[in-house]
Amino acid sequence: MNFDLDEILIERESRESALATRIGGALGDHIPVIEVDDARAAARPRPGDRDPFGAGKRRMLIVRRKSPFLMACPAGSSRFACCGYLVLTIASNCPMDCSYCFLQEYLADNPVFQIFSNYTDALDEVDRMIASAPGRSFRVGTGELADSLAFDSITAMSHDLVEYFSARPNLTLELKTKTDEVDTLLALDPRGRVLVSWSLSPEAVFLSSEHRSAAPAARIAAARRVLEAGYRVAFHFDPIIAYPSAARDYLELIDTLLDSIPAKDISFVSMGGLRMTPTLKSAARRRHPDDAMLCGEDVLAPDGRYRSFAPLRLRLYRQLAAKFRKAGAEIPSYLCMEVPSVHEKVFGATPPRPATIGERLATI
Amino acid sequence: MTINATDAAIRALAAEKRLPQVHLERWLAMDADSSSALISIAHTLKLRTGQLATAIELLDEIAVREKTSAARVLGGPRARAIVDGGGSAPERARAMLEHLRLIRFPELVRTRAALDADIKALNLPGGAQVVLPSELASDEVTVTLRFRNAGEFERMLARLNDAKLGISAILDKLGGKE
Repeated sequence: MNFDLDEILIERESRESALATRIGGALGDHIPVIEVDDARAAARPRPGDRDPFGAGKRRMLIVRRKSPFLMACPAGSSRFACCGYLVLTIASNCPMDCSYCFLQEYLADNPVFQIFSNYTDALDEVDRMIASAPGRSFRVGTGELADSLAFDSITAMSHDLVEYFSARPNLTLELKTKTDEVDTLLALDPRGRVLVSWSLSPEAVFLSSEHRSAAPAARIAAARRVLEAGYRVAFHFDPIIAYPSAARDYLELIDTLLDSIPAKDISFVSMGGLRMTPTLKSAARRRHPDDAMLCGEDVLAPDGRYRSFAPLRLRLYRQLAAKFRKAGAEIPSYLCMEVPSVHEKVFGATPPRPATIGERLATI
Repeated sequence: MTINATDAAIRALAAEKRLPQVHLERWLAMDADSSSALISIAHTLKLRTGQLATAIELLDEIAVREKTSAARVLGGPRARAIVDGGGSAPERARAMLEHLRLIRFPELVRTRAALDADIKALNLPGGAQVVLPSELASDEVTVTLRFRNAGEFERMLARLNDAKLGISAILDKLGGKE
């Protein structure tokens, strides 16, 4: 584990859980462990913390999840051309601290890093979903409200997930990460059903904004390792930040990526421009006042989010899409949180319906 | 002014203008030279509350983007010329905000100017307008036609038809085509 924790909180109900035992065994006596009666109260911001969100990242709470685990991607909306991604929430918050992260707004009221002791119940929900839709394929990921692999070396949650998904031919598990923590995965057999994806940014964005994440080169090297171990790989160029040398830097990053991972081995690529609600922008600027990446040429877009003005953002999408096209393989690509007309301009075709694209990405 | 006196002057002006707390905090967080320079500009140009809030936001973000300070921006030749130049205080206030906006959004201002020139070159009749999205925030163009009879309507449609390629080129630019 490469991340610092100040303390581990365990709800009494989860004290004897397999997850708590594993974490306790992995961490030994290095970190104080505190039992709590009221997990909801423990998840809230701690009075007196100057940066409650940042402090929450260093407090791990092991707790039973009482809400459903499986949901549609929270970024989805009928106004956007979405990718049909389904999310399993087995943890909430992330030890890394990207200045642009939407969790700064989404988890403002319960910022403590929660990890759900009954996470294997999530698989029952997936079972019910596939039973209700015979013949359909689904792509399900754990990397929306948390990084899929950040704490995997101590939780080993990926073990249960990979075992479950690798036995179901109509499911694809997507483990999304900004780390290079893949050692646990290398010992497992994904049987072609597990895809590991990385968010990739140029070095300038990594240095300015992606605190405590692995360097872009380390992410690509980790992708190479899991590819050789039988996993599929995908890459999210998201958020794309339109800083002055962005076009050059992103195109160089793609060159670096393709030097290590041949285009034919990339399951898909997604792109999404930086977008921030006014509340998120305000929180991000307050927590990261010196990050120039948060001060791009962003304007209030029709969806109420700050985005790079349209010609700048779309030019970057087009340049990146053209670069991948020139790589010689038809890498499936989609845009995240963009309207259909933007898809048409970037890819020259009307985007498929979310369910269709979701199914396509699940079966690649 | 001492730092305490500057802070007191900022707080007094903020209270008078009912400046939102978030902007007051950003102003107080500026270095001493910058916060003093902004007080001076606010008084000289008689900035209204909204203008003052906008100036604080723009200066704060320019300082981060350009790795400079608000004092340096406000002490630059163009800013000094606006402050010391002729015209009423409201005119100079508007000019100052435009100047700050140009520094904060250089590519947006350039792109907007180029698209405005393209629209002008369409040479459409008075009742026809090609309207760009506010702040170029989307890829959508609006065309408006004002007419009083069928003949005018026909003539405008014909002129629009003549301008079809030019309008397509504007849409391409708005859509990021190089």
